[in-house]
Amino acid sequence: MQETFVIAHMYPDLMNLYGDRGNLLCLQQRIRGYGHRCEIRSLGLEDQLDFSELDMIFMGGGSDREQGLVYHDLLHKAETLRQEIDNGLPALCICGAYQLLGRYYQAPDGTMLQGLGFFDLYTEGRAPRLIGNILLESAVAGEKISVVGFENHGGRTYLHDPDLKPFGTVIKGHGNNGEDGGEGLWYKNLIGTYLHGPLLPKNPAIADYFIQTMAARRGLTLTGTLDDTIEHFAHQQVKNKILPK
Amino acid sequence: MSLRLIMAIFVGKLAIVFSRLAGNQGTDFPGRLARRIYPPILTVLAGQVKKEIIMVTGTNGKTTTSNMIAGIFRENGSTCVHNRAGANMLTGITTAFIKATNLSGRCSFDYALLETDEANVPLLLQEVQANLLLVTNFFRDQLDRYGELDHTIQLIKQAAAGRSLELLLNADDPLQSDIAACTGCQSRYYGFEDTIYDELTSADSREGRYCVQCGQALLYERYHYAQLGQYHCPQCGNRNPCRDYTGQQLEMDPGIRLQVNDLPLQSSYQGFYNAYNILAAVSMGLRLGIDAEVIQRAVVNFQPRAGRLERFTIAGKPCLLVLVKNPTGLNQSLSMLLLDPTQKSLFFALNDNAADGRDISWIWDADVEIMTRSEARIQQIICSGQRSGDIALRCKYAGFDPDKLSIESRLQEGIALAVAQAEEAAYILCTYTALFECRQIMLKMQKQSDGTSPLVQPSPARQAQEGGVQ
Repeated sequence: MQETFVIAHMYPDLMNLYGDRGNLLCLQQRIRGYGHRCEIRSLGLEDQLDFSELDMIFMGGGSDREQGLVYHDLLHKAETLRQEIDNGLPALCICGAYQLLGRYYQAPDGTMLQGLGFFDLYTEGRAPRLIGNILLESAVAGEKISVVGFENHGGRTYLHDPDLKPFGTVIKGHGNNGEDGGEGLWYKNLIGTYLHGPLLPKNPAIADYFIQTMAARRGLTLTGTLDDTIEHFAHQQVKNKILPK
Repeated sequence: MSLRLIMAIFVGKLAIVFSRLAGNQGTDFPGRLARRIYPPILTVLAGQVKKEIIMVTGTNGKTTTSNMIAGIFRENGSTCVHNRAGANMLTGITTAFIKATNLSGRCSFDYALLETDEANVPLLLQEVQANLLLVTNFFRDQLDRYGELDHTIQLIKQAAAGRSLELLLNADDPLQSDIAACTGCQSRYYGFEDTIYDELTSADSREGRYCVQCGQALLYERYHYAQLGQYHCPQCGNRNPCRDYTGQQLEMDPGIRLQVNDLPLQSSYQGFYNAYNILAAVSMGLRLGIDAEVIQRAVVNFQPRAGRLERFTIAGKPCLLVLVKNPTGLNQSLSMLLLDPTQKSLFFALNDNAADGRDISWIWDADVEIMTRSEARIQQIICSGQRSGDIALRCKYAGFDPDKLSIESRLQEGIALAVAQAEEAAYILCTYTALFECRQIMLKMQKQSDGTSPLVQPSPARQAQEGGVQ
């Protein structure tokens, strides 16, 4: 039985830096590869969110100005969104979208941008920007995996609540703040991260984690495997670059 | 004449010779050395230019456009100092002047034609009394630092303000629409009227989709390419400025034909971005009062240079070398493939050195999906360079058949494979730091094949399936 998974692309016009749409292309193609359909629904400012129709939400990064616009729009939806995340809605939030989940973002000039306050984390913008290829260790379904990507952020994010778990441990690169060795946030089925490049194509295990979670929430089990030769090659190529032999 | 100046020129010239002997391009180092010996060297030498000092800047097309303007000067019998091959920082420009100066410090040229990196425009204006500034376009380029483009444009405006500098601007680029007002400089505009290649919607890069004056989303009547087109702001009424030089009746089949203010022109260059380069160069020629027939002859003679769609013949097949460095440039190169009816193989070398941009995520912002269209007639894609895996993934997720994708990270082997497998033509795309090596490889292959004899088959290339190619 073919199912149609619906992924909401939040604010594609405003939050779409650094090839983030590659994450959606990846999810869409892989869902097709598993024999199902995938619809990407673009949601802009003032569009209504009907969570009963959504399997996942995706939001990318934007500049400070755009982040402000998005914050005001999201405030109206914050309560139900938070509830859905608590109920296990898969969500991928990159860069600026990740920062928005916290209490605040303080720009380098001292300007405060309020966050949604879903999590007890906060971000402080400082020079220099943390830029470069990054390698993490993470785990999907108890299995250790490596994650590769590119980070480029001035914000230092601190997970203030000690119960919050990062998305991964930094092997090489900066991560949340360049200090505590953590990168991103993993809460239930939400991943917040600074990794772009984009994240999912070179890390098919993470893409499949989202797809399997979406399927499980519909009571389905995915069958078959995809040919990930190119994915693994690209992953390994970056890894070799980061960790020269 | 200052002794230090003579010494700086002498040492600079010596450094040019030595860096050539050492096999370098010899573009920045001699200038840097001479500037250390005699810091005002550029101001002094540029002061000797007889007529105009022209700066050419912008994200894409500045090298091609300035080469075309140099071609117009050549045809006109005018002499010019011209920094070539993308040596567009202060040091490279200083080197160009040292080359053009004799040992006694005399530098007598009609024009100076200075291709200038956007970030170097303010610095150059401090040292050189430029008369004219030509801006090609402002596109998203180096993605390593965001917010950079707005900042750069701001700095250019501040540096130009209050100077007796005349601007030649692109009327179709909304990011240039407030430069005249912000600087108070006299400004003229070039741009295209409606063309048959225009699109009414665009899925392209987002730069400049918002009004520079009030921040409102712009409405477009038509797109020529990327954010270049006919636009207006529904909030403040900002719209395309009036054109002084209008590109009309554009045709690409695939060579370019167009008219500029009724002057008919044709060129073997291809692609809309090159039509813009021709329009910009011709507008500059007309502005300088150069005879229309001279300009016409110069345009016919324009020959693409390294990587700006350079044509080779290898084993009897046309092979085109194309430099790509950002989503807009890549989109344009791929759109050009649609106009070429030959069955082709495509080679794409993606590097991630500093000069390429360390962040290669820009390939996901480009419409690589164009490659999958049947009119593109791409039989196979060979992915190469330091990030061959990433370009292969991009093609795969664009929907290109993975069975027709192969990975050969080594340039030499990859190009050989692309040429050998090409039914009719090969397109060799590469990022900046792979360009010179790719060009050398193609020159050598062209020489070996003598244009006609069949090539020796390359050794079977390693495929992705075997993995581990580094």
